[in-house]
Amino acid sequence: MGGAVKNRLKVLRAERSWSQQDLADRLEVSRQSVNAIETGRYDPSLPLAFRIADVFEMAIEEIFQRD
Amino acid sequence: MSAAAGKSFTKSVPFWAGLAFGTFGAVMGLALTGAINAATTMILMIVPAGLFFQTMRAASSKSACAVAGEAQRRYLKRVAIFSSAYLVVLALQVSLLADADPSLAVRAGISVLPGLAVLGIFWAIGRLIVEEQDEFIRMLVVRQNLVATALALGFATLWGFLEAGEVVPHLEAYWFAVAFFFGQFVGAVSNKLTFGSWGAL
Repeated sequence: MGGAVKNRLKVLRAERSWSQQDLADRLEVSRQSVNAIETGRYDPSLPLAFRIADVFEMAIEEIFQRD
Repeated sequence: MSAAAGKSFTKSVPFWAGLAFGTFGAVMGLALTGAINAATTMILMIVPAGLFFQTMRAASSKSACAVAGEAQRRYLKRVAIFSSAYLVVLALQVSLLADADPSLAVRAGISVLPGLAVLGIFWAIGRLIVEEQDEFIRMLVVRQNLVATALALGFATLWGFLEAGEVVPHLEAYWFAVAFFFGQFVGAVSNKLTFGSWGAL
């Protein structure tokens, strides 16, 4: 279960006016996955974190920080 | 997803789950009180099994808010095939063994078929874990099956010792598979409470 890492996914998504489904489509994952990561219930694997960083065109550490 | 559709979706899972639990309890009640024999029980178990399947379908149904992945669709198709095969071979076993006194080889051949059909469902679960590409959903499926395995093994162990102590009556071992499938439902509820999502099933 997540909790050790916090993230800015919700803010970054809102800045782009993307819904959770929009982001899920871009990442090729389910909407539930995006929701679980956003709410801190699940910490993504490193490969998925890299994909998230690629979608937002940012470095991983700009999106995920130590809690 | 519209508000009405969302409401309908969230209401449908508890509705089907309630029906599945209710019929499961009713059949178990009839079986444990001796009102129906073992063969009738197994045949009647089709009703809660079908309702449980419908519950899982509702939980993972394709909508704007819950996209069922390709692996999940393949899983549901495989479970439907093996469940149908189970019904056919179970009916075959009950009818053939009731009317005649076949040899040991024939009895073994007929009796192993329902078990093999259930093994097919276990295989489908394994394939789902292998084929699911969404890591979060895969984690939920694994978690759900760990809960189911713990419940089935716990039930088998406790019942075995209670039976040895002549506290409870003898139970055919296939009931531990029933306990496993019930455990899958418990695992799905646990996923919903912990992660906010039922998972794949």
